[in-house]
Amino acid sequence: MKLKPIDITLAAVFAALMAVGANLTSLLVIGSVPITLQTFFSVLAGMILGSRLGAISMTVYAVIGLAGAPVFAQFSGGFGMILKPTFGFILSFILVAYITGKIVESNSSKKSYLIAALVGMVINYAAGTNWMFAAMKVWADAPEGFTYKMAWGWMLAPLPKDILLSVCAGLIAPRLNRTLSKTSRTIKKSAA
Amino acid sequence: MMDNVIIGQYIPGSSTIHRMDPRAKLIAVFVYVIIVFLANNWLSYAFLGIFTIGTVLFSRVPLPFILKGLKPILWIILFTMILHLFMTKEGPVLLDFGWTAIHEGGVVQGVFIALRLLFLILLTSLLTLTTTPIDITDGIESLLAPLKRVKFPVHEFALMMSISLRFIPTLLQETEKIMKAQSARGAEFSSGPIKERVKAFVPLLVPLFISAFKRAEDLALAMEARGYRGGEGRTKLRLLKWKGIDTFALIMVGVLIIVLFLLRS
Repeated sequence: MKLKPIDITLAAVFAALMAVGANLTSLLVIGSVPITLQTFFSVLAGMILGSRLGAISMTVYAVIGLAGAPVFAQFSGGFGMILKPTFGFILSFILVAYITGKIVESNSSKKSYLIAALVGMVINYAAGTNWMFAAMKVWADAPEGFTYKMAWGWMLAPLPKDILLSVCAGLIAPRLNRTLSKTSRTIKKSAA
Repeated sequence: MMDNVIIGQYIPGSSTIHRMDPRAKLIAVFVYVIIVFLANNWLSYAFLGIFTIGTVLFSRVPLPFILKGLKPILWIILFTMILHLFMTKEGPVLLDFGWTAIHEGGVVQGVFIALRLLFLILLTSLLTLTTTPIDITDGIESLLAPLKRVKFPVHEFALMMSISLRFIPTLLQETEKIMKAQSARGAEFSSGPIKERVKAFVPLLVPLFISAFKRAEDLALAMEARGYRGGEGRTKLRLLKWKGIDTFALIMVGVLIIVLFLLRS
């Protein structure tokens, strides 16, 4: 795998954007629930940077968070985050970026952007919730009473806003891609 | 709020733990996370506790910072303890409510799991409390170096981490600036119906992405102009030095493994 300087800087900057996206809501509030735009940004990472670079940049994001930079939601970070049951969501962004990228690369119609965004969200939830379940089982030795259904029940609350946000990502991504391909010479190459 | 991105959670200090090689700390913490699961009776938990609390005291990180690291995991500890109290049905009954009962096994299991999580979070947060993200990046690059053989871009990955850390504060400032500029033009970020506020995202995101990508391109151009050719033959500003204390720390972890194996039942 050969990375050119532009690949390195784009992936790095997108990881930084992701850190901004995770905490954008501390700058602006939508409703009263604290929401993060992490899913939204990871979907955009796949769509704008492409599958390979998108996944790399999400990996960079996860690792700098573990190394102690306050890049996760609510400005949290540190190696201890690996113990939080929600860490699976952060790992799932890597997969989300890769798969949305792959879908958009194979077909770049407006409809496929929308589908890719929704698929990304589903992956995010599936991977995150399964990880949460496994984490409770392994770290905490959760007894039989903690069922798989309980883990999913937990995740239902933020579902509507995430559907809304993924639709937004699907709608905004083609526009962003168009604008970026006008202003930057490199993005066209790396997105293609 | 983001001023501390570069140093992360790092608390400056001069203790032996602070001065250890980041590689030694990384290895020690990884091994520790695995061996915590070896403890399964009071004696082994007590020994693990002495080791963990001793290390924390040795680092001389002020207590408030340690407690701050515990906060996010606190509800999980409580939750699992309650879960075990009511759902682990082993040993004699201690309390009988009629509809449910608390068994001795549940109490013991609950305490063990709470201790396990507590020890895990204490030592893992100690890593980031005594090491800067940049040092950890250097440590990771050096530890993962063997992966270069299988064509994993270790050097590039570490470089991406450093660049990313460097850009986060810049991009946050940029975001604030754009928000102010768009508010001055009449964009509403904090009031109005949800649909309007979601729409207000577009005039925020588009300039943010354009400026971020421009920065990435400028930096890449600057790197190429200076003849950047990847990690091969590149020298370093900060060199990692493996000292006697690092070997000693790993030996201590080795002793911990042996003792835990002997004490477990």
